[in-house]
Amino acid sequence: MIDPIRLELIKNALVMVSDNMMVSVLRTSRSTLIKSNMDFSASILDGDGNMVAQGLALPGHLGATMPALQGCLDYFGDDIGPGDILANNDPYAGGSHLNDIFMFKPVYRDGVRVCFLGLILHHTDLGGRVAGGQAADSDEIFQEGLRIPPSKIYEAGKPNDTLMRLIEHNTRVPNTVMGDVRAQLAALITGAGEVEKLIDTYGADELTKYMAALIDYTERLVRNAIRDLPDGEAEFTEYNDDDGVGGGPVTIHVKVTVQDDEITVDFTGTSPQMGGALHTNYWFTASLSYAALRTVMPADTPNNVGFYRPITVIAPEGCWVNPRYPAAVGARGQGGYRVRTVVTGALTTLYPDRMPACPGGNEFGLSVTGMTPDQKRFLLVEFHNVTGRGGGPDADGQDAGPYWLGNMANTSVEIIEAENPLLIDEYGFLPDTGGPGKYRGALGLVRQYRLLAEDAIVQLRADRHVYPCWGIFGGKPGGLSHSYFVREGKREEAPSKFVKPMKRGETFRAEMAGSGGYGDPLQRDADAVAEDIRQEKISVAHAEAEYGVVVDKALTLDAAATAALREKRAAN
Amino acid sequence: MAEYRLGVDIGGTFTDIVLLGDDGALFNKKILSTPDDYSRAIEDGVRELLETTGITAAEIGEFAHGTTVATNAIIERKGVQVALITTDGFRDVLEIARFRAPRLYDVGFRKPEPLVERRLRFTVPERITAAGMVDKPLDEEAMVAIAARCADVNAVAICFLNAYVDPRHEERAAAILQEHLPGIPVTRSSELVPQIQEYERTSTAVVNAYIRPVIERYAARLEERLAGIGITAPVNIMQSNGGVLPAKVAAQKPIFIIESGPAAGVVGAQRLGEKLDIPDCIVFDMGGTTAKASIVADGTFAMAPETEVGGDAALGHRMTQGGGYVVQAPTIDIAEVGAGGGSIAWIDSGGGIQVGPHSAGAAPGPVCYGQGGTEATVTDANLLLGYLNPDALVGGELSLDWEGAEKAVTALGDALCQTLTDTAYGIHLIANARMMRALSAVSSERGLDPARFPLLAFGGNGGVHVCNLAEALGSKRVLVPPAAGLFSAVGLLFAETEHQCIRAYYNAFDELDLADCNAAFAALTDEAEGLVATDGYGPGQRRIACSAELKYVGQNTALPLPVPALPLDASGLADLAEAFAVAHEATFGYRSDGESVQFVSLKAVGRGASDAPRIPDSIALKRDTPPPAAARKAYFGPEHGWIETAVVPRASLEGSPQAGPLIVEEYDCTTVVRPGWTATLDGWSNIVIERTD
Repeated sequence: MIDPIRLELIKNALVMVSDNMMVSVLRTSRSTLIKSNMDFSASILDGDGNMVAQGLALPGHLGATMPALQGCLDYFGDDIGPGDILANNDPYAGGSHLNDIFMFKPVYRDGVRVCFLGLILHHTDLGGRVAGGQAADSDEIFQEGLRIPPSKIYEAGKPNDTLMRLIEHNTRVPNTVMGDVRAQLAALITGAGEVEKLIDTYGADELTKYMAALIDYTERLVRNAIRDLPDGEAEFTEYNDDDGVGGGPVTIHVKVTVQDDEITVDFTGTSPQMGGALHTNYWFTASLSYAALRTVMPADTPNNVGFYRPITVIAPEGCWVNPRYPAAVGARGQGGYRVRTVVTGALTTLYPDRMPACPGGNEFGLSVTGMTPDQKRFLLVEFHNVTGRGGGPDADGQDAGPYWLGNMANTSVEIIEAENPLLIDEYGFLPDTGGPGKYRGALGLVRQYRLLAEDAIVQLRADRHVYPCWGIFGGKPGGLSHSYFVREGKREEAPSKFVKPMKRGETFRAEMAGSGGYGDPLQRDADAVAEDIRQEKISVAHAEAEYGVVVDKALTLDAAATAALREKRAAN
Repeated sequence: MAEYRLGVDIGGTFTDIVLLGDDGALFNKKILSTPDDYSRAIEDGVRELLETTGITAAEIGEFAHGTTVATNAIIERKGVQVALITTDGFRDVLEIARFRAPRLYDVGFRKPEPLVERRLRFTVPERITAAGMVDKPLDEEAMVAIAARCADVNAVAICFLNAYVDPRHEERAAAILQEHLPGIPVTRSSELVPQIQEYERTSTAVVNAYIRPVIERYAARLEERLAGIGITAPVNIMQSNGGVLPAKVAAQKPIFIIESGPAAGVVGAQRLGEKLDIPDCIVFDMGGTTAKASIVADGTFAMAPETEVGGDAALGHRMTQGGGYVVQAPTIDIAEVGAGGGSIAWIDSGGGIQVGPHSAGAAPGPVCYGQGGTEATVTDANLLLGYLNPDALVGGELSLDWEGAEKAVTALGDALCQTLTDTAYGIHLIANARMMRALSAVSSERGLDPARFPLLAFGGNGGVHVCNLAEALGSKRVLVPPAAGLFSAVGLLFAETEHQCIRAYYNAFDELDLADCNAAFAALTDEAEGLVATDGYGPGQRRIACSAELKYVGQNTALPLPVPALPLDASGLADLAEAFAVAHEATFGYRSDGESVQFVSLKAVGRGASDAPRIPDSIALKRDTPPPAAARKAYFGPEHGWIETAVVPRASLEGSPQAGPLIVEEYDCTTVVRPGWTATLDGWSNIVIERTD
């Protein structure tokens, strides 16, 4: 018999243990990736490796923990004991990409394994051809850095010096990475202490029983939520401009089937794996699919295996979203956005009253490096993955509205300028780039950089120069991305992915894609269009061409002219 | 003639009023707030309190005020129309903000709309670099043209890029505006908060411009009403950082009073701790809709460099950002969860029981208030458990509907197949589990072991839950101060006048111009000293403390460090670097001696200390205690069951420790002493509860 009150109390206690591990990492880690971008997740799994609770997590980590532990269980079998801590970063043994080192600490009581604590951290650099491990143009996993197969980084309470030294000697920034590794280990050990206290309070058997009940409870919650969704099936296709090494475009196709209390997400029809390192491996694909599906679930659904049970993700082996060994996956971050947007597209098709059009943005990731005038190295790395929200289902896509499947802050212009010989000339909205629709997509953004040092190397990882952020139900796509240098007064167009030099006084301008519109633009509230004109978010010409809306010189709506123009458009 | 200090704290539901005599006599009054004009409830309540106590207006020497008026003006969008002027190319900084959302997976989430719409955001050609060089001079003709377009707005904010380094373009632009638009208030970012980060500084300047006229009107009306009663004492307003400022000064920079009320409670706790020699404590404040936690360690409370106004309750500042408007004002760091007496218990679709975050609020309130509430709340559960007096709350002004509460909780229990008692106790415990998140956010999440901290509990519901929470935290000692139900108003009376003068100073130690740094500190010190002097404090009453925010070069988060010895020389700088490394290790778990340290900002805090002590040696609660109820049955969990529990007034604990279970009933709050704890009264009339088993 499960007492629902005890269940709620144990649920709270377990989530608190995993949140405390998160905070411990936040407090003691060293890298910006952890401290600012919070690229890490903590979890608790039962003694068999089923996930029971996960702390505040990145969308890409939702389904990633269990397979990485399974990789360890497959390798070690019964050879796991108290005081061990397991480590694994191998994408071909349940891992994700090499930068993500997964660690697991089992907790025992009276010789029985009660649970595992898990912690994923994105480590700043683990060697490989290009610093940071994110290069889009790697061909094979061997170019991407140190591959750690399922291993013991602690054995019977003692650190494995060989493995620790291997890590230390295979990174460009040993202080940062070893600091983060130690933060990861410390948080697991602290977390284990807290779980021991829970076992003292409730007893091992009782805790095990309630962990299982928590999984069942979540499964019930999710199955009920799916049952509340109308049954249906929708297909959607998205494109990545290229594969990172000049091949492509890449087709990403999905079919989402909602039936009774189960959902299937099937990527059959997606391009085969290609060159480059933008591939998403199976578990990353699955994680992002789960994340996209969470948007149609109750907000407080716990993160555990009960959530995944009613969901099946199919990705044929050897396709772009489930590549075969030894494909490179280091820059899967960009490819992962296409997985998010394609599943969202299928969901919007299925549930037009709940979901919007495509969010804007081009997964803009920039690095600029060189020497300052006093001969110190500078390195700016910044990301602007998303620019705003897609239109719909019942409101405009909020301009610069944060993304529901990612939560990365932009970086202050003043901090960038204080720390780098760069000047940012512009950061703002691009009028007329929001996808026209009954509900307009959010505007695209521009960021323009000027170099104040002699020389620098600029590397860009972006997309959406060819394939825009889609509109839906008659809504049009947002404006495309576009970028160029201005060198000695001359404009030099740039592709979405490149490495190029830059000289003093030259500028690099990046125009990032706008979001998709939702519904027929001719049905857009004409007053809202006029208001957009007054706010200078769209031009008078754009209003007329896309929305059939006419305003007078004072920018107030000309209702008669608008009605006539819209009628004429509708007739065509 | 005795002298009294008057403290008034406005909350969403109640306005709390206390009168404290220099002999320690403490009178209090709770009255419903009047949101249409908050100053009306103040006038009414103060009049009533003066009449019932016989104290005259002339005996009131000081008036300290905590208020949510600034926050409400933002939440209700009742500020004025503001125009914003920025550097060319940065028109949208305010609207783009930082791109963070407080929660994922919510496609319906919208961040708050900018307080200045795009058509009123003007840009002007000008540019200063991070090094303070003019890249492009200010286009004064363009500024004149912008001024013409601002003729119809009520206020203007200016924020130029890198103005924290060099404010001359902002100063010139403000001068042009004032020349062409006399009478329209101008908020200049570099004057208000000269700190790095353009979005945060812009947002701060805009919030200030948006609410300043509202707060100025409010302050003027309040002073008028007080004068009408005959109170001529200076009016001071509590700031988010725990110091007070004269109302007229505070109204010009209202961004500093946003967390006014919550700050007062923490200041009260810290000063009380100082008096009683309790340098460490966890401060726990539970009201009707939320519970707040903060910590005092080594006699100081933790500060956050900025806050967000208008968002949801947040567990500190790092995890959940983006729900409100950022304000770069130093704020006492308080973690908050949506769990209070009014939090609703409900059953989700998976058959699980949840408590909060939805609240029955003040209207309709808990079922037992009999004002139309139908959903079981924490207060309903507490009533059924015997913790609250079924006949009367607020000294008999409110009687409770026991049957209504029983019906609502029974309905929940039936759905869960649980008894009434188990359901009610379950609701109580789940509310506690929610509040543990806030308590842990300020203690264990900062590497502080909560077991070694006593808990100081206040707020209308703090005393009901605190013993159980202390057991969960492993804490052995609990204090419930006098007038706990309105302790924030008491805390107001202990604060000192405080002016903070800050400037950005983005310079690495290894490239530092010491003379320049010392000149910057000297200028700040003079400024702070001057401000305190203006408030009427003589040379012997002025205290100036300097500090700096430091970080490793390239790191994101800075730490505040005191700078005790000025001017700085090479060895002083080395000492500062060492102190930073030690603090860094304590906060983040490591030090990094190979990396260079830099200043982020410099600060001088000026305090005015009056000659009379701020906190009396003892407190005498002057409110008639309710007639001693004998006893009633209360439930203390399956391990203790239902126990016939004595119900006593606070005064009866004096000199005779009494073992729990015990219920202390008062006008403004109830304190539940669980079995295994013993309660007594200290010289300051605090209920001191200690674990005995």
